[in-house]
This record gives sequence, C-alpha cells and structure tokens, in this order.
Amino acid sequence: MIEIRNLHKSFGSLQVLNGIDLSLEKGKVLVIIGPSGSGKTTLLRCLNLLETPDAGSLQLGETTLEFNGRRKMDKQKVLKLRQSTGMVFQSYNLFPHKTALENVMEAQIVVQKRDKEAARKRSLELLAKVGLSGKEDAYPHQLSGGQQQRVGIARALATDPEVMLFDEPTSALDPELVGEVLKVMKELAAEGMTMVVVTHEMKFAAEAADKVVLMDGGVILEQGPPQKVLQNPSSERASQFLNVLTSKE
Amino acid sequence: MDDRKIQIVIDSLWPMIKAALQYTITLALISFVLGLILAVLVALVRVWKIPVLNQIAIFYVWVIRGTPLLVQLFIIFFGLPSVGIEFDPFPAAVIAFTLNMGAYNSEIVRAAIQSISNGQWEAAYSLGMTRGQALWRVILPQAARVSVPPLSNSFISLVKDTSLAYTITVVELFQVAKQITATTYEPLLLYTEAAVIYLAICTILNALQSVMEKRLSRFSAQ
Repeated sequence: MIEIRNLHKSFGSLQVLNGIDLSLEKGKVLVIIGPSGSGKTTLLRCLNLLETPDAGSLQLGETTLEFNGRRKMDKQKVLKLRQSTGMVFQSYNLFPHKTALENVMEAQIVVQKRDKEAARKRSLELLAKVGLSGKEDAYPHQLSGGQQQRVGIARALATDPEVMLFDEPTSALDPELVGEVLKVMKELAAEGMTMVVVTHEMKFAAEAADKVVLMDGGVILEQGPPQKVLQNPSSERASQFLNVLTSKE
Repeated sequence: MDDRKIQIVIDSLWPMIKAALQYTITLALISFVLGLILAVLVALVRVWKIPVLNQIAIFYVWVIRGTPLLVQLFIIFFGLPSVGIEFDPFPAAVIAFTLNMGAYNSEIVRAAIQSISNGQWEAAYSLGMTRGQALWRVILPQAARVSVPPLSNSFISLVKDTSLAYTITVVELFQVAKQITATTYEPLLLYTEAAVIYLAICTILNALQSVMEKRLSRFSAQ
C-alpha cells in the first residue's frame, strides 16, 4: 500500500529526513514514535505532500511519485494522492464556519462532486460511527476537544481514503478526552483501515500497531513489530528514549 | 426659522435625495463593488507573491495611497483628455473611486486572508481541494468575517468622499446643495441639510454593518 524509498527533506540547511525507507501493507497500522525534532511529523506530512520531499520516491496505492529537487510535481497526481489519503491534525483544523455535518460533507461535495443528499447521508453515518449522533448541527467551538477531533476523523474518512494519516491526534487533548479518540482509532484499525499514526501514546502503539517505527535525527532507528521495538530495542539510543517515555507514564 | 427658510429646506429636500440616490449612492456602490473585486485580486497576487504581478500590485498600492484622491480625480477627468483619453464625468469618478478602493481595501483583504491559520489551508489541501477551492470554500468565508468592520469603514468613507465628484461636474448630493445655495443664498441651511442626508445614509450603513457582523459571526465563540 505504501512504499517509501530513500526519502530526503530539508528545511534550509536543516536536514529533517535523511534517507527514509519504509513500507506498509494494506490494512496494517504503522505507529511512528520518536523524540521531538526527529522528523516523524515531517515524514507523515510527506505522505500527502503537505511537505514536498527533496529526493526519493513515494508510492501510495496506485500513485507513484519521484522527487527530484525543485522540479514541479504533476498537480493532478498530487490531488489524486491527497484524495486517497485522509489526514487528522493535532489541532483538529476543523472549518470553524461550518457545522460538524458540513465539515464532513464539504470535501464530498467540492472534491468528489457527490450530490448533496448522498453526502449528507454518508456524513450522518460517519458522525454516528465516531459517536457524535446528535451533534450534527454544532459548530466546532461548541464541541469539546475530543469531540472536535472525532469530527476531524469523520471528515478525513468522508472521501473514502485508502490510508488514514494521524499527526499526534491526541496531543492537544485534555487527558480525560484522549480515550474517546483512541477508541475510535482502534475501531478503525480493527475494521482493516490502513493507518499511519504519529503519537506519543505508547499504550496505543503496543495494542493497535502492526509495526512500530522509531525515528531519531531524520533516520529510522528501529522498526518492527511493537513487542520487539518497544520492549527489546537493539540500539542504546532507542532504549534511552523509551525509558524516558515509560517513566513519564 | 422663518417660513421662507422652511420652504427652501422642503423644496430642496427631494432634489437632494434624488441626487443622493441617483449619483452619491450609485457611485459609491459601483465603485465599492468593483474596488472590492480589484482588492481581492491584488490581495491574492500579494499573498501568493505571483512574480511580476506582485511588483505591479505593490507599485499600484503605493501610488494610490500616496496621492490625494482629489488629484487622482483631476488627472483622470481633466488630465487624460490631453493624451486623447476622455471620460464622461460619472465614469471618470467610478474609475477614480474604484482604483482608490482597490488599493486601500487590498490591504484589508490581505490582512484578513493572512489572519486565517495555515492549518485551514492544510486541512483543505489534505481533503484533495485545489488552491482555488480552498480559497473559495474555506479561506474567504472566514476572511470575510474578519474584514467586515474595516471594509464597512472604508465604504462609509467612500460615501462621503463621493462629494469630491462635484469638482468634475457630477451632479451628486453636494453639487445640488451648492447649486441651490447659489440661487437662494442660504449656505448654512443647505450645507447643513446636505450633511444631515449624508449622516442619514451613513447611519443606515452602520446598521447594515451590525447585521452583517451578526450573520457572519454565528459560527464564532467571540
């Protein structure tokens, strides 16, 4: 489903991704962990081209892109790739001028050109799925953080993406609201959705991930099944990082 | 006030209101709408830093904001004919006021667009929207709300600035007051009457601004 080869990205003189190779099969959940500044969010944002890699290649579903310095990318390919991914943001980024229902309907109408009734029906289903029936007409500011993030998940699912990308989806939430968002994510994983999740939630990683990637300094330090990476890492740097995280919990 | 003066006020009321409807308000509305379209285009050129156009936009805003409106009116109406470009008074006024509104309002629109968080663009892009779709469906509706108060300000200024059009012979509200004064010799009375009509128009505009702000802020907590 996802195939990344030798991906490089720098911001000015700062090398953020330094040769990433990664693959993920359909229906699997990949969790990316690592200290801040390790490049994990940049890697995730490269997957739907919110950041354009400098070099390397990316294959996602049927779309393949080669990156080569400043060369402009094919706009149609970019749009196609973005339509086959759904993204959930740390700060939700819901459209504040639209209700929960309208947030979920928006891309179906504008991007997919579904008719309004079909979009509405699908949106109501998705809001029910994330446990927000009855909140259709609420504006984002009338919802709690956890509810907003669940609308964010429904919105990202609305275009029927092949892959869901989560960028620290629970980091901005009050601790008591984290659970409701993780629950929705686990349900998605159980349904066979292909997911890439950047998070600090080690419990989620241990329980839901098929594969864990530990990044540091723009490279992949460890990758493998969660039991191996989280409990028995092979490098000193990895066990240091994991110790810091577990001592915090 | 004696009967004669009261009669002058009454007799001049309809000609002034007619001039206000026919020229003052029409001129202000047309120039504002055209100016706003121009302003949005200029703002986008500047936000997206489109090469060449960006430099032209900066130059345009610099010139218009740095020269008096009255001088701009005179250049367009009295100056351009000497190079063979002639306009009737009303179109000349529309051009001058449109250019003026375009320059001032482009800064308002630019600030409003830039006040919307980058996350909104990213959310729209992540859903597969093009830049145009993101702008039209996500960014501009939010920017509109931010820019209603400053744009109302500029529209109210414009309504009053249209009185300058009398200098290029447009028969707007102030021109009519002036003409009646010339035959009745009652400057205080007639100019005050004109002022009251301007005030009435601006009061209505103030009320419209409140209505628009309420309508556009229904989604916001503030």
